[in-house]
Amino acid sequence: MLEALVLNLVLFLPLLGAGLLLVSPTDHHDFTRRLTLVVMSLQFALTAWLYGRFDSSVAGLQFETRLPWIQSWGVHYQIGLDGYNILLVMLTAFLGPLVTAGAFSSISKDVKLFYAMVFLIQFAMMGAFLAQDLFLFYVFWEAMLIPMFLMIGIWGGERRIYATIKFFLYTAFGSILMLAAVIYLVYSLQTTSGIVSFAFADLVKARLPLGAQSWLLAAFALSFAIKVPMVPLHTWLPDAHVEAPTAGSVILAGVLLKMGTYGFMKLGFPLFPDATALFTPWLMSLAVLSIVYGACLALVQDDIKKIIAYSSISHLGYVMLGLLSLELVGIQGAVIQMVSHGLVAAGLFLMVGMIYERCHTRELAAYGGLAKLVPVYSVFFMILTLASVGLPTTSGFTGEFLVLLGAFKAAWPPFVLGLNHLPLVLAVVAVSGVVLGALYMLRFALGFLFGATKAPHSPLSDLNTREKTILGLIVVAVFALGLFPDEPMRKTELAAKAYKQLVTTSRLPGRAP
Amino acid sequence: MIGRDVLMAMLPEHLLLLGIVLLIVLEIAGLARRAAPTVALATVAAAVWAAARLSFDGYAAAPFAGHFSVDAASLLAKALVLALALPVLLIARDEFDGVEFPVLLLSSLYGVGLMLSADSFLTLFLGLEIMSLPVYVLVLLAYQRAQSAEAALKYLVLGGTSTAMFLMGVSLLYGGTGSMDIAVFARAIGAADPMARAAVVLVILAFFLKAAIVPFHAWAPDAYEGASVPVTAYMAVVVKAGVLLAAVRLFGPATLASPMLELVAVLPLASIVWGNLAAMRQPSLRRMVAYSSIAHAGYLFYALLGAPEGRMQSVTFYLLAYGLLNLLVFAALPPAADDRERDRLDNLKGLFHRSPFAALMIGIAMLSLAGIPPFPGFVAKFLIFKNVVAAGHTAYAVLGLVGSYLGIYFYLRVLQFMFMSADAAIAPAPLRRHALGASLACVALALLVAAFPGWVIEHL
Repeated sequence: MLEALVLNLVLFLPLLGAGLLLVSPTDHHDFTRRLTLVVMSLQFALTAWLYGRFDSSVAGLQFETRLPWIQSWGVHYQIGLDGYNILLVMLTAFLGPLVTAGAFSSISKDVKLFYAMVFLIQFAMMGAFLAQDLFLFYVFWEAMLIPMFLMIGIWGGERRIYATIKFFLYTAFGSILMLAAVIYLVYSLQTTSGIVSFAFADLVKARLPLGAQSWLLAAFALSFAIKVPMVPLHTWLPDAHVEAPTAGSVILAGVLLKMGTYGFMKLGFPLFPDATALFTPWLMSLAVLSIVYGACLALVQDDIKKIIAYSSISHLGYVMLGLLSLELVGIQGAVIQMVSHGLVAAGLFLMVGMIYERCHTRELAAYGGLAKLVPVYSVFFMILTLASVGLPTTSGFTGEFLVLLGAFKAAWPPFVLGLNHLPLVLAVVAVSGVVLGALYMLRFALGFLFGATKAPHSPLSDLNTREKTILGLIVVAVFALGLFPDEPMRKTELAAKAYKQLVTTSRLPGRAP
Repeated sequence: MIGRDVLMAMLPEHLLLLGIVLLIVLEIAGLARRAAPTVALATVAAAVWAAARLSFDGYAAAPFAGHFSVDAASLLAKALVLALALPVLLIARDEFDGVEFPVLLLSSLYGVGLMLSADSFLTLFLGLEIMSLPVYVLVLLAYQRAQSAEAALKYLVLGGTSTAMFLMGVSLLYGGTGSMDIAVFARAIGAADPMARAAVVLVILAFFLKAAIVPFHAWAPDAYEGASVPVTAYMAVVVKAGVLLAAVRLFGPATLASPMLELVAVLPLASIVWGNLAAMRQPSLRRMVAYSSIAHAGYLFYALLGAPEGRMQSVTFYLLAYGLLNLLVFAALPPAADDRERDRLDNLKGLFHRSPFAALMIGIAMLSLAGIPPFPGFVAKFLIFKNVVAAGHTAYAVLGLVGSYLGIYFYLRVLQFMFMSADAAIAPAPLRRHALGASLACVALALLVAAFPGWVIEHL
């Protein structure tokens, strides 16, 4: 009971914070910053407490709240923690204070509005992860776009208007078709089984013919795949990332992109298992294409922010591959990979922001030999680079290794039986993504940290205490997840099993359950 | 007790009439300048209260059987439409003095009241005309520029055309059945008889014209632009609401089937698409709102594709959300010395720095009108499309939703101007007191509807 209340508090704290900002004075920037940091830290503390209380031996929802919201439609305000969302909620809450602190020095225009937007994004993301009702989920899913739109558009770089409108229109197009699918899905649930409900737990009971499932999955998948983003729907991402302020990039890469993969895991695949089976070869090919294509593009970028942006596309391809492998290790690896990418990409974007604040350029060629100029910065950068590459002991290794293990485990039997060679081919190609990943990240680090010393701005000051603390926390989390993945994996194990069960059970009409 | 019913059932209308008389007496006594706005506001508030009170008591009566009847649902809709006129009066307070504006507005509202209770074509026609005639004058009332006259004339001529089509349709129906009962219309919708079909088409087109559905929309941008802000708000919100609710009443229990189904689906769909596309390139705020309202009229007529039982609820909820947020735009629009300057979209650039409150209000309104959650416009749209899907017209629903996607850009453009563009070189102009009150009321209600949509829907 207490936990459920705390969970609600965790969700609504950012909204409360935004409300506080609304009534606080406009010109006291330091007060605004501290207030935001305090509220965000409190949210993280409460989330961490809930994480500790979360019982990994219980399947299904914990700390649930369910209240009628639009009763006549069967819409409920239903939130709760389960194995699907626990790690992502934790990630979101963890990054909140870091994003806030990271923007202390970089944002000096409309500070109050900025932190209000950070709060609102945090609220919407938290809500989307916690929601257990499709209507509620959709509301948060869409509402997220508004503060992000403003954040990129107001505090972004030169082409910010173009980037932010592209971001909004791109993602909204996916959402509008998903909305049509949501309406149709709920309506067919009502006509076939008589249940009027938007609850995830009820929706997975819907039995639909293959044709309807395929259309609905296509609509959901379009929306989620744009968010992930999967090649070829990724073109909004580099623009949004490059133009966004650091905090925007961190939120985008750290959490927002995981919305897409989370959506696939929580909704897309479990709701339409038969269509998923039909689409798997295509989606898997796209996932592997994303891995390789993203990595290849990252290899040739001159803009340091773009390198990380494209690397995100590549890394999230692994998540998709893991989810589609339908092997327990692969699924769990996908979840770990989501969190790992959230930490690493957030850390790298923060670091790019820090150097940008000092030098005002993101041109890779403008830098060199930073290891001599800013040693502390370079150490952190190297650690995060290696984590991104997937060096053992870091979180990146755990995620990618498990995903690839899952992919091979799933691909081997059909290959041996001579049924299907595609999965194995895809798995092998996906492994090459690891090599490419090492290539582009090391090329980046090599040019950036080593070689002839050059910096567009001198003297270059090294990290201050605030920056060291932010990065230190991220690095600790990266190693924690790399060295001790047991505990988080235990928390997600039952959910991964449930996911596998749901996706592998046919739900065409007229068959025994 | 017929006499008592006449008094009770028409109480909102009686109060409006009383207010009109009082205003005229005040004018004669030379007291109008000071008291008129308050009297008008109090009158409408009383009428809203009366309609809402009767509705909550579950009152139903037919004081003029076959011509005029009320029940709880229609009274609630009436209360809603009348309530939407309250912010209009508040906005107008700073722009119009004298008795003309309130008297014309109250007369028009009287017409709305009649329309929403009409049982016969006679009452409906009477209501439609009493509602429309004062608006022609209202458009002219703020005569500040030559376009106003052109706008009023255009509106008048096309309004006349609509009336003619309506009368032609009604006379065909009367010729075929010998009855003036509006239920005749609902029965004629499914009929195969060519005369009945022609009649139905004429009546539907008359309503399309009044609600500015493509291809009968061309008058709206000119009329909206030519009128002053409060009058535009009144036309976009109250008149549209009256027409739509009357249409729902007229369609009654009829389920649409081919070929009427296509008529009621395709033209509104064209409105959604064209309204949203054309709105993208308007330099004037009121023209943009006009095109946006053309698109919204499309969504509203979509509600007729749904099952008859759900229509009233979905239209009323939509009108509530649409009305509140549209009024919010007009209430929060910063005042300017020159009406034309006030209307230029470019002048909204950098508004956030000049007037953060106004920018936030207009921003919320734009996002809600675009149908982005969590604002009430989303639930309203959801409700309509849910009913359309439930009636089996999934393809139209998907097309309508894709059409609504087209609208997102121009709403975002307003946000872009207000928050992301460099400041326009204009002195900050604080909102006037009454406009501020109106915007606060609108936004508070809109947020309440957003937070508790379920409660609102269950009470409609």
